[in-house]
Amino acid sequence: MALLELADLTRRFGGLVAVDSVTMQVEPGEVRAVIGPNGAGKSTLFHLVTGVLKPTAGEVRFAGERLTGLPSHRICQRGVSRTFQITALFPEMTARENTQLAAQARHPQRWRPLGGGPVFGTAARYGDAALERLGLMPIADRPAGLLSHGDQRLLEVAMALAQRPRLLLLDEPTQGLSVEETAQAVATLAGLLSDGDLTVLLVEHDMEVVFRLAHKITVLHRGAVIADGPPEMVRADVGVQAAYLGGFA
Amino acid sequence: MPGWRALLLIAVLLAAAPFGLPLYAMTLLTEALILGLFAMSLDLMVGYTRLYSFGHAAAYGLGAYAAGNLLLHTGLPLVFAVLLAALFSGVVAIGVAWVCTLATGVSFSMLTLAFAQLLYAIAFKWTAVTGASDGLAGIPRSPGPFGITIFGSKTGFYYLVLALLIAAYLFCRALVNSPFGAVLRGIRENEPKTQALGFNTRRYKIAVVAIAYALGGLAGALYAPFAGFTNTELLFWLFSGQVLIMVIVGGAGTLVGPILGAAFFLLVQQYLSSYTDSWALFFGAIFIGFVLFAPQGIWGLARRALQPRSGNAV
Repeated sequence: MALLELADLTRRFGGLVAVDSVTMQVEPGEVRAVIGPNGAGKSTLFHLVTGVLKPTAGEVRFAGERLTGLPSHRICQRGVSRTFQITALFPEMTARENTQLAAQARHPQRWRPLGGGPVFGTAARYGDAALERLGLMPIADRPAGLLSHGDQRLLEVAMALAQRPRLLLLDEPTQGLSVEETAQAVATLAGLLSDGDLTVLLVEHDMEVVFRLAHKITVLHRGAVIADGPPEMVRADVGVQAAYLGGFA
Repeated sequence: MPGWRALLLIAVLLAAAPFGLPLYAMTLLTEALILGLFAMSLDLMVGYTRLYSFGHAAAYGLGAYAAGNLLLHTGLPLVFAVLLAALFSGVVAIGVAWVCTLATGVSFSMLTLAFAQLLYAIAFKWTAVTGASDGLAGIPRSPGPFGITIFGSKTGFYYLVLALLIAAYLFCRALVNSPFGAVLRGIRENEPKTQALGFNTRRYKIAVVAIAYALGGLAGALYAPFAGFTNTELLFWLFSGQVLIMVIVGGAGTLVGPILGAAFFLLVQQYLSSYTDSWALFFGAIFIGFVLFAPQGIWGLARRALQPRSGNAV
């Protein structure tokens, strides 16, 4: 059974159809990229899955259950963790405290007003494991606000990872990075994803990044899916080239 | 955290104060501790959650009027009346916070102000409960339970205030260091992210407002039998502004700082007002000075002076 299913998902803003009856499935263990030119509806699609926006029609199912209409923190509690397109961290906390708070969000006693040693203990363990996986241990005790942009992007991924999500949503993970930083971040992410234990939905406009990371690619154009398949198939698709790649691929 | 030794020293000095200070100074000190408790309660919102309340006088006033009525009309022992009044303030705050947290930022602050002014208006009209512009007078320090009468005396009452302040401080300390406190810190630094991590941030905000109101209400509830009266000034917006100043001048986000800020405020007020009626003007200048040159407040300055080498202890 697919882990994530979008069924005829539609979102209109007035007369504009930002997402036009999108249907897709993401299987467990799959790394799926959603690509498309600016304004194709990638971000809107992302917001529909994370509960930031409500769909006009259609539904989102996660592990067989409807997510449609749930507030975003509920969706997160079901095991869907996300990163933001524009880096969102706790700048005055250290990298370790960032991942620890992220992991705490998954603890049944995350709200404990007094005591809480065991909560912190568990959270620190998962947080450190996530930092380790992304090679951020050397900067664990630095304030997040003082890290390089590249490390901040990776820290955000580490925070999502610390929650041990069933589905990881990455919103343009290399957004705003220089060429060298992008190469480094992509290498780190490729290492992470090659372990095969994560299911990922990735929104990205950088084609290099997408072809390097994704197992399957869904191409959006004006809100609708125009191609869906493995990278080499998408790359060869004439319609995609016309709509997006401009013939250079 | 650094400063435990300094805090212990302060506590010991405060406990010994009645043996060394003249009576009028003890009255001032008692009031300083009550105001300190009030300012510390606001620090949970301002310093730890970055929720700026412009209407924290509401908490104080609720506690004061509730305690006043309980002591005047029920004969409940002082300690119970005070704790019950604090609880009352905290319960009312759940409703207030439910409304106020519909908004964020400045709008949140304005809603807290509006609510406090609403209470102020009610206090003026509802003569049967609040005594209108006369306020409540002759509030007794009822004896009991078990025939305990020591809280009736000035010194006994001082120790009651001191004990409650220390208990409230230890409670707040534990609170901000708990998982709950970590979430508050997340809200302070980036609320949308905290929500995206899966925390229902609004619920945490309502909870911290309720706790802040309960402790602020406790301060007000102590003030009523301390002064023997309540009046509408306890609910006025000016008082909300003053307590915010105490928090910032003392050092927001430190718990101890706001207590020192309250004492400092009271001392300056006492001292300057014997020279001039426009003492508030001078205090305003002091406030601006702190915001510009020492945003970490009195406690921040004191800690830096105590540990010149460690630099930026957080």
